[in-house]
Amino acid sequence: MSRESAHDLAIEADNITFAYGNVKAVQDLKLQVPRGISFGLLGPNGAGKSTLIRLVVGLLKPQSGSLEVLGQRSPRMVARLIGYMPQLPALYGELSVVENVDFFARVYGISDRRQRAQQVEEAIRFVGLWERRKTPALKLSGGMKQRVSLACAIVHRPPLLLLDEPTVGLDPELRVTFWEHFRDLTKEGVTLVISSHTMDDAAHCDRLAFLRSGAVIAEGTPKELREATGRPDATLEDAFLYFVRGEVSPSDTQ
Amino acid sequence: MTLNNVVAITRRIIYQLIRDRRTMALIVFVPMVVMTLIRLSLPEGSTLDYVAPALLGTLALFFVFLLTGISFLRERSQGTMERLMASPVSRIDIVLGYLFGFSLFAVAQSLIILLFTIFVLQVQYQGALWQIFVFLIIITVMALNLGIFASTFARTEFQVVQFIPLVIIPQVLLGGVFWPVEQMPTYLQYIAKVLPLTYAVDGLKGIMLEGETLLGVGLDLGVLVAFAAALTVLGAVALHRRAAG
Repeated sequence: MSRESAHDLAIEADNITFAYGNVKAVQDLKLQVPRGISFGLLGPNGAGKSTLIRLVVGLLKPQSGSLEVLGQRSPRMVARLIGYMPQLPALYGELSVVENVDFFARVYGISDRRQRAQQVEEAIRFVGLWERRKTPALKLSGGMKQRVSLACAIVHRPPLLLLDEPTVGLDPELRVTFWEHFRDLTKEGVTLVISSHTMDDAAHCDRLAFLRSGAVIAEGTPKELREATGRPDATLEDAFLYFVRGEVSPSDTQ
Repeated sequence: MTLNNVVAITRRIIYQLIRDRRTMALIVFVPMVVMTLIRLSLPEGSTLDYVAPALLGTLALFFVFLLTGISFLRERSQGTMERLMASPVSRIDIVLGYLFGFSLFAVAQSLIILLFTIFVLQVQYQGALWQIFVFLIIITVMALNLGIFASTFARTEFQVVQFIPLVIIPQVLLGGVFWPVEQMPTYLQYIAKVLPLTYAVDGLKGIMLEGETLLGVGLDLGVLVAFAAALTVLGAVALHRRAAG
């Protein structure tokens, strides 16, 4: 990928490293995520996807290297502009759908009551759960909880949305619905960073980074990554294996 | 610190607890059952008068520690804490939000224990009732912060329960609940001096048995306030370390 100006990038990681004790989760990782696209972080469990997302949202600090999020060196400075959907649905079971979403609207600083009510309704309608808005979260199915979790992440209309394995445990129909939601968000100019270990998700992304052992081993559009294998019928899975074995990025091959 | 964030977290905790009817019922009835059992277990002719101050302090510490410790840990284990930490709220907002949210229930619980002990179990006391209650509030706030702080070191609810023998029982044994601190070996008296329950029991005994005022037990009160403040800061620091780890 060609070097973009800092203004066009939602995330720019330069040689960042993070270790949990002796276990290096992210190692000299370089990544540039342009604004307004869906960007997939693909890799097996333990590849460093969740750690990278937690670094970007400011839950962790890089131990070396530099990381800029929305042009800021400290992600905490732009926390209001970031939406985060963790791997677990992370909802308050006793509270209803609307109360959960309203709580996150409050902590993300939407203090005007009318404005908040409007954005809460919009977020819940967006995920198609308005009819269930009064249901306590603990009484919802797993897929519904994921949808409420997405509504909590988007209620403050963030320009950058980080979704950690958002489609895990969803049935195929709901997965399609989620991707429709994600496409709608990118159409509105939101930058989406989605971690996943399934190639099905990868195919939907505008750009992808393959991660392995805490580093980016390849980055490009799904088409570029498939073509880099030199096989016309190559799938993204083939492309992933190709880069794992050869560890060359399509940008190196061009 | 942002007031709006603290209010949002406090409000959410109050809603959550009110919805959990069984927990609400337990908060109200368990202390009454325990105090009644203690009263019934006393030998014929004895009264609760002398032990009541120590029991009130101990029960406030025990119930509040358990309530906050487990609730706070649950928030971490279900991932909501991480989500909250990724939002613009600060760590001190979270700890204060929890403190105020739980205070409402913990203070209500302390009031129930106090009123039940005095009016139903007929315990005689010297000082003013409202001063006993104010002192109990300070103990409750300290215990809330102790629960939050301790829970940041646990990964499961089972581990929080294991903190009871570690954090609560030594305080009960050394804090003047069963026998006066002055009668213990010197080195244990030094240990007792760094345990908040020692000051809680001493202050409550001062008001209830000797008719002291809040000013008269000012040193105990001051030490408990200092413990509460220090634990609030430590809780916020430890929270960051644990949520990130």
